[in-house]
Amino acid sequence: MLLEVRDLHVEFKTRDGVAKAVNGVSYGVDAGETLAVLGESGSGKSVTAQAIMGILPSPPGRVTAGEVLFQGRDLLKLKESERRKVRGAEVAMIFQDALSSLNPVLSVGDQLGEMFVVHRGMAKKDARAKAVELMDRVRIPAAKERVKQYPHQFSGGMRQRIMIAMALALEPTLIIADEPTTALDVTVQAQVMDLLAELQREYNMGLILITHDLGVVADVADRIAVMYAGRIVEQAPVHDIYKAPAHPYTRGLLDSIPRLDQKGQELYAIKGLPPNLMNIPSGCAFHPRCPMAQDICRAHVPPLDQLDNYRQSACHFWEECLDG
Amino acid sequence: MAEPIIEVTGLVKHYPLTQGILFKKQVGAVKAVDGVDFTLNKGETLGIVGESGCGKSTVAKMLVNLEQPTAGSIKYKGEDITKLSGRALKSVRRNIQMVFQDPYTSLNPRMTVGDIIGEPYDIHPEVAPKGDRRRKVQDLLDVVGLNPEYINRYPHQFSGGQRQRIGIARGLALRPEVIVADEPVSALDVSVQAQVINLMDRLQNEFDLSYVFIAHDLSIVRHISDRVGVMYLGRIVEIGRDAEIYDHPTHPYTQALLSAAPVPDPEAREHRERIILAGDVPSPTNIPSGCRFRTRCWKAQERCATDVPVLAVPAGFRDTGGAAAHDSACFFAEE
Repeated sequence: MLLEVRDLHVEFKTRDGVAKAVNGVSYGVDAGETLAVLGESGSGKSVTAQAIMGILPSPPGRVTAGEVLFQGRDLLKLKESERRKVRGAEVAMIFQDALSSLNPVLSVGDQLGEMFVVHRGMAKKDARAKAVELMDRVRIPAAKERVKQYPHQFSGGMRQRIMIAMALALEPTLIIADEPTTALDVTVQAQVMDLLAELQREYNMGLILITHDLGVVADVADRIAVMYAGRIVEQAPVHDIYKAPAHPYTRGLLDSIPRLDQKGQELYAIKGLPPNLMNIPSGCAFHPRCPMAQDICRAHVPPLDQLDNYRQSACHFWEECLDG
Repeated sequence: MAEPIIEVTGLVKHYPLTQGILFKKQVGAVKAVDGVDFTLNKGETLGIVGESGCGKSTVAKMLVNLEQPTAGSIKYKGEDITKLSGRALKSVRRNIQMVFQDPYTSLNPRMTVGDIIGEPYDIHPEVAPKGDRRRKVQDLLDVVGLNPEYINRYPHQFSGGQRQRIGIARGLALRPEVIVADEPVSALDVSVQAQVINLMDRLQNEFDLSYVFIAHDLSIVRHISDRVGVMYLGRIVEIGRDAEIYDHPTHPYTQALLSAAPVPDPEAREHRERIILAGDVPSPTNIPSGCRFRTRCWKAQERCATDVPVLAVPAGFRDTGGAAAHDSACFFAEE
C-alpha cells in the first residue's frame, strides 16, 4: 500500500459543541490505483483528505486518533518541517476551485516555478523553463507566452489544468483530487478528467478522487469508498458496487439517479436529511433514513464487515441488501 | 395540450461594454442572448440545457422581467410583456414566478420564513387579504412538505433542500401559471435532489403549472422535461421533444454534450464513444462569424464561417419524419 489511513478521527470544536467530522475512517490506495471517495456534503470526505495532507484548519479542527501511513511512515507523527517536505513533493493535492486556490497577484509561471525554487532550490530562470514545460504537459496552448499571464486571464478549464500542473510539478507518488471537475462544464470536465487519468497512468501515481458525482466515479475509479456521517459505509471495486450495492445508502444514491425507463414516474428519493454532525444518530448513523432499519440498527454501530477479499460493508443487513 | 402560454421570438440581450469616464463610448457588447425563439405550451415542462455563459440564466431573467431585452418579444397569452408597464405589467408578473438556484443567497437571512413566503402578498394584496395571509403561508409550507409550525423560523435553521422548498413555496404564493426554475437543484446533495424534483413534479400536476426548467444536468432535465432546448453562446442550437434530443440528436454540439456527460455505469466505460471537444467556449463579446459553434466543431467547413444556420428541421430530414426531424441549427446535421 502506498497510503494507508487507519481509524482516523477528526473533530471540530465549535461554539455550539463538538462536530465529529470523521469517526474512524480506514482506507488505502496503491500506486497506479484510483480510489474514489464518494459522499455528500458533510460526510467527511474532504476533511479526511485535509488530515492526510496536514492542512486541517486547526483550531478548530483536530485529529483525535488514527494513523496516516505513507510508504510506511506515519505522517501524523512528523514534525511540521518534515511534513512540509512531503507535501507537494510526495503527496500533492488538487482543489475544486482553481480560481480561489491560485494566487491572483502572481503570474502562473511564478506560481508553478515556486515549487522548484522552494523544494529543489532551483534558480528562478530554470524554474520558469520548468513551468513552461509543465504547462505543455497539461496541454495549455501557447505555454511560452501564457506563462507570464495571471490566473484571471485563463478559463476555468485552463485554470484547473494549471492546478494539475502544479500538483504534478515535483512528480509526487500520490495525488489527492478534491472535486477537481465540479466547477467545470460537462464538455470541459471530460477534457480535464481524461488528462488526469492519462498523467496518472504515465507516472503510475496513486489517485484519491473525492467527489459526489456517481457518473465521474463510474468513468475513472478502480475502487470506491462511500462515506456517510464521517464513516466508510461501503468499500468495493467499482463494477461490484454499481451492479449490487451492499449498503442501503449506496443503493439509495444509485436509485435516485434519473433513469430512462423511469421517465414520468416518481424518482426514488432517500427520505430525510443528512445528519447533523453535532448530534449523529445512535447506532448506524443512516438508520433514520434507511428503509431496512431494525431495532439493532438504532442500538449498535455496524462494524465494517468483510464480504469477500475486496468488499466491505458497514450494514447489519448487508446480505439482504446485496440480494436487493 | 399544445396551447402556447409563452411565445418567445427573436429575444436578444446585449450588455454594452463602454470605455472612458466622461465621454463614454460603446466599444462592444457582451452578447449574452443573441436571438432566441421558443414556445412554452400550457402544462408542459420545457428544459433548457447549456454550459455556463450560454445565456440560459439571462433568458430566465427576461422571462420574469428582471432584465429588459435589447430586442425581441416575449408573449404571455398573446400579449407582449416586454412592452407592458404599470398595472398591466404587475398583473402579468403575478403569473410568471421564479425559483432561484442558490437557496442560501436567495432567501433574506433576516426575514422569517413566513415573511419570505408572504412577501409576494405585499405587492399583490388582492391575492390574499391581510387577515388571511398567515393561514395561506402555512398552507404553502404544508404543500411543499415543510412543517407549517416552522413559519417563524429563519432560513439558517433549515438545510439546503428545505430552503429550496421555501423558495418554491414563495414561487407558488401568487398561484402563478408559469414557473421559471433556474438550476433549482444544482446546489443540493444527490439524495436531496430527487426529493425536490419529485416535489416539483407533484406541484405541476396539482396546480396545473407550466415550467421552464433550466439546468446543466442532462439526466435530470430529461427526467422532468417534455421538450428540451440546447443553448450555445446565446442561441438555441437544437430543440425538440426529450426523446428526439436525447436519442436522436442531430446538432454536433448536442452530440458532444451528451457524449461527454459521465454515465453512472462502469460497464459503459470501455465501449462508450466519447466526443471530446477541443478548446473552450468563445467569449460572448467576440462571437465567431457564421455558425457560432464552428470553432469547436469537427464538421466545420467554409460555409459555416460565412452563413448563419437557422433553427429549423434540417433539409435532409424534412420529408423523412421520425425522431430526427426536429429543429436543429446545423448545415451538416446528421444522426
